[in-house]
Amino acid sequence: MMRYILFVFILLFSSKTFAQIDSIQQLKVINLSSVKLQKHSKGYKVLKLSDSVILKNTESFTTLLRFNTPIYLKEYGSGGTSTASFRGTSASNTAVIWNGININSINNGQTGFNTLTVNLIDDIDVRSGGGSIEFGSGAIGGTIHLNDQLSFGNHLTNQIVSSLGSYNTYNNLYKFSYGKDKVAVKFGASYNESENDYEWLGTDDLKNENGAYNNLSFSLGFAYKLNNFSKLSVFSTKYKGNREFSGTLPNPSAAKEKYKDYNFRNLVTYSYHKNEFTHAVKFAYLTQEYRYFADKNIDSYNYGKSKNYLLKYDFNYQISEYSSIESFSELESVFGSTDEIKEKNRKQFSQSFIYNLSFENIASFNAKIRKDFNSDYSIPFIFALGAEINLLKNTITRINGSKNYRVPTYNDLYWPALGNTDLIPESSLQGEFGIGYTTKHIKLDVGVYYINSKDKIVWTPGGDPERPGIWVPINVAEAVNKGVEFTVAINKVFNKHVFNFNLNYSYTIAKDKSTNNYLTYVPKHLANGNLGYSYKRFSAFYQHLFTGEIYTTTDNLDSYTVPYYNVGNVGVDYDIIKTDSKQLVLGAKVNNVFNKEYQVLPSRPMPNRNFNININFKF
Amino acid sequence: MKISKLLLSIFLLSVLFISCDDDDEPQLPKGDYENGIIVSGEGGTTGSVYYLSDDYATIESQIYNKVNSEDLGSYLQSIAFDDTRAFIVVDNQNTITVVDRYTFEKEASISTDLMLPRYMTVYEGIGYATNWGSTADDSDDFVAVIDLSTYQVTSTISVGNGPERIVAENGKLYVSHKGAWSTNDIVSVIDIASKGVSEITVKDNPDELFIDNNGDLVVLCEGLTISYNDDWSPKEKSPVSITKINTTTNTVDSEIIFGADQYPSLLTYDGSDYFYNLGSMIYKLDDSATALPTSELLDTGASNLYGLAVENDILYTLDANFSAESSMDIYDISTKLKTNSVAAPIGASKIYFN
Repeated sequence: MMRYILFVFILLFSSKTFAQIDSIQQLKVINLSSVKLQKHSKGYKVLKLSDSVILKNTESFTTLLRFNTPIYLKEYGSGGTSTASFRGTSASNTAVIWNGININSINNGQTGFNTLTVNLIDDIDVRSGGGSIEFGSGAIGGTIHLNDQLSFGNHLTNQIVSSLGSYNTYNNLYKFSYGKDKVAVKFGASYNESENDYEWLGTDDLKNENGAYNNLSFSLGFAYKLNNFSKLSVFSTKYKGNREFSGTLPNPSAAKEKYKDYNFRNLVTYSYHKNEFTHAVKFAYLTQEYRYFADKNIDSYNYGKSKNYLLKYDFNYQISEYSSIESFSELESVFGSTDEIKEKNRKQFSQSFIYNLSFENIASFNAKIRKDFNSDYSIPFIFALGAEINLLKNTITRINGSKNYRVPTYNDLYWPALGNTDLIPESSLQGEFGIGYTTKHIKLDVGVYYINSKDKIVWTPGGDPERPGIWVPINVAEAVNKGVEFTVAINKVFNKHVFNFNLNYSYTIAKDKSTNNYLTYVPKHLANGNLGYSYKRFSAFYQHLFTGEIYTTTDNLDSYTVPYYNVGNVGVDYDIIKTDSKQLVLGAKVNNVFNKEYQVLPSRPMPNRNFNININFKF
Repeated sequence: MKISKLLLSIFLLSVLFISCDDDDEPQLPKGDYENGIIVSGEGGTTGSVYYLSDDYATIESQIYNKVNSEDLGSYLQSIAFDDTRAFIVVDNQNTITVVDRYTFEKEASISTDLMLPRYMTVYEGIGYATNWGSTADDSDDFVAVIDLSTYQVTSTISVGNGPERIVAENGKLYVSHKGAWSTNDIVSVIDIASKGVSEITVKDNPDELFIDNNGDLVVLCEGLTISYNDDWSPKEKSPVSITKINTTTNTVDSEIIFGADQYPSLLTYDGSDYFYNLGSMIYKLDDSATALPTSELLDTGASNLYGLAVENDILYTLDANFSAESSMDIYDISTKLKTNSVAAPIGASKIYFN
């Protein structure tokens, strides 16, 4: 029954996702958080990155997102600090969700996109728009979902992906998956390293000094069907990364900083499904730590760490064939500290309800509400509505609206002498309208959105009138973000020639309401595309990214902009072995194939043309 | 004869007459940026320099970038000058960029053997730059000795933690130690000939220092917050003072102590009066006074008063913005009125008269 429901869900809802390459058969795959996301995303756009897309961009999470999603990544030199701006929102307004759990740092409210690898993640969903109801703080611009998958049914597969590239870059991973009727197991390990000392184009022999990195991660998944009604599953992942932070023009040799990151995430789920009732109890334990070395040659560091305990109870009652009601209760206890902030504990209880209604393939609807009770500050009552209607053949009209929030971080609240315990959460109201068109060969979606954010937390030297010149955080800014997101995926087959094409384009207007100036570090135009071609055992692809000009000053000075840039990657693959049980693919890739000089952030040149050869062996 | 040719002939003739008018060598302009005010900004993404002509008619932004088509990097701490050159000190780049002080054309870049350089002074043709050393080590701070013909660091002089401003007088270098990322309470005295270093203990966090017309070394000690109230307002602060050091004996001569709630962060001198700030207020203090004034000279209303300079009874103040252009306000000290307000670089912090 369970499997049947999942099957139905997948059939029903996967139609609205933009699978970039549908290479894997999904029937046996069990992933509740991914399924639930689809179920709760009526009226939202969800972009799916399959494992084959993930494995084409193993260099970094940043690169993966930059070339495949509408998100702008603010990266401080290749491999350095990297934050997201989704629909023009700030770094703490994009939430990263691991198997349904928000993993943004409690210290700064963000996820660093070079502080974790996703090479072992089985698929990634990128949902545009607010999601605080389901995912809590920071789900304003959009959410990025990292999903582990497990497969029941008789199988045993191994996969090795290994690549060797310029600047002594090595990316390696191993994945193991095993399944029986009642048992599913998976294991993965990944190790990446690079000198990352690329040449800075447009300079006299300057190099990206102090940019080396390496990281090691493991992941483990296990599920067991206790009986026909209940199932136990465990997911665990561990990551350790070392990064040096490269310097800036004109003298990269001045850079000495180093960073270490440690993440450990665990989730145990017990679920029970019988007749119209489904129950799930989840327990999660997450830890995060960073260590910042101001001088890599000296063994003293600043740190920040957190421990997060989560207990969740999800309940689903299927009222009728067409409607269901769900309840989500969550108890969270977070301990956070830094070398500057003594350990603080924050407790939160939240309760949300979601009502789902659908009429066959004609219309579907979600209504959601949530209330949080937090030990430190009050969080507004929030709601969300989403609906989809299929009036015309192949065409879907979607609409959604929601209120979302971002809570103050530990740094905002408790930084010695600067933190402000009077801060309240940022809140935003948003709405979106979109139209999608889907046939066998084309999937197209265009949406317009509007986000109004208030009480935005900004660190400013004028924050406290009693203490001019001291940088303190205050709830001050109001911002309006509006824009258009356009996505298209096309695949065509002529004889044995297979073509596929994906394009994401976003037009973003993000303004500070008080000055009517554009927000900094938001490109008005952002586009990326992938063109793929395959013939028998041969395939090739081209990836392209266009990022428009950005302002770096709040008064929008023309003399302090980062110019637009175009950058392209090209790759070829050849299937040496191609059987049902064994596949061996050899590939080569050229990044920045036109050797374009470009910067994502000022004074930080990005990599020149570089090469990579790779092998992908599945057996 | 075409009219344009005629005009040209008249022009050439007139030039000849004017040139013959004066027997002295003609006074050629030394560069576009002579006779004006140089304002430096620490920068957000890069430090920059703006120029304002003496008559305030011309303001030019990012003059280094304009002349040299490159950026200075962050953060531009300070500029030192000799007769013909300006030495632009950029701390996080471990770099001192040398330019012609009047044309701003780049002449050299000193980027080896410096580590977080802060301030520099030139004495008898040699440069002396204070350096914090490694961020993670407070015992490796030094003064770099720089040969200004080869632009090489020829030697270093070890000093206490966090050397900041530096002045030279009578064969000695005086260095205030604000303490980099922590705190310090000394002024180093370096004998240039022997490189011997001695220390004078002053109040906490000495920053601005200069020699006044009485021959005293004047130091602003900004004090240190020892403890905080629950709302992070300072509960207990160490004393704040204007300290005067006798440069013959190298001992503290006198100290003017500030009140409990007074935290000046800027101090400058025009040859007869000191000017300092409390928040956005500017105060004027006669260089022979022994007590602080009870009322302010004027209120700038600045939200982040970050730079201060006085020349010829004109007061220049910088209201710094680190994410947008800052502003420089110009006051007539005799009338206390603001006469001009002009754009200043991002993170504007220093004003120099060129």
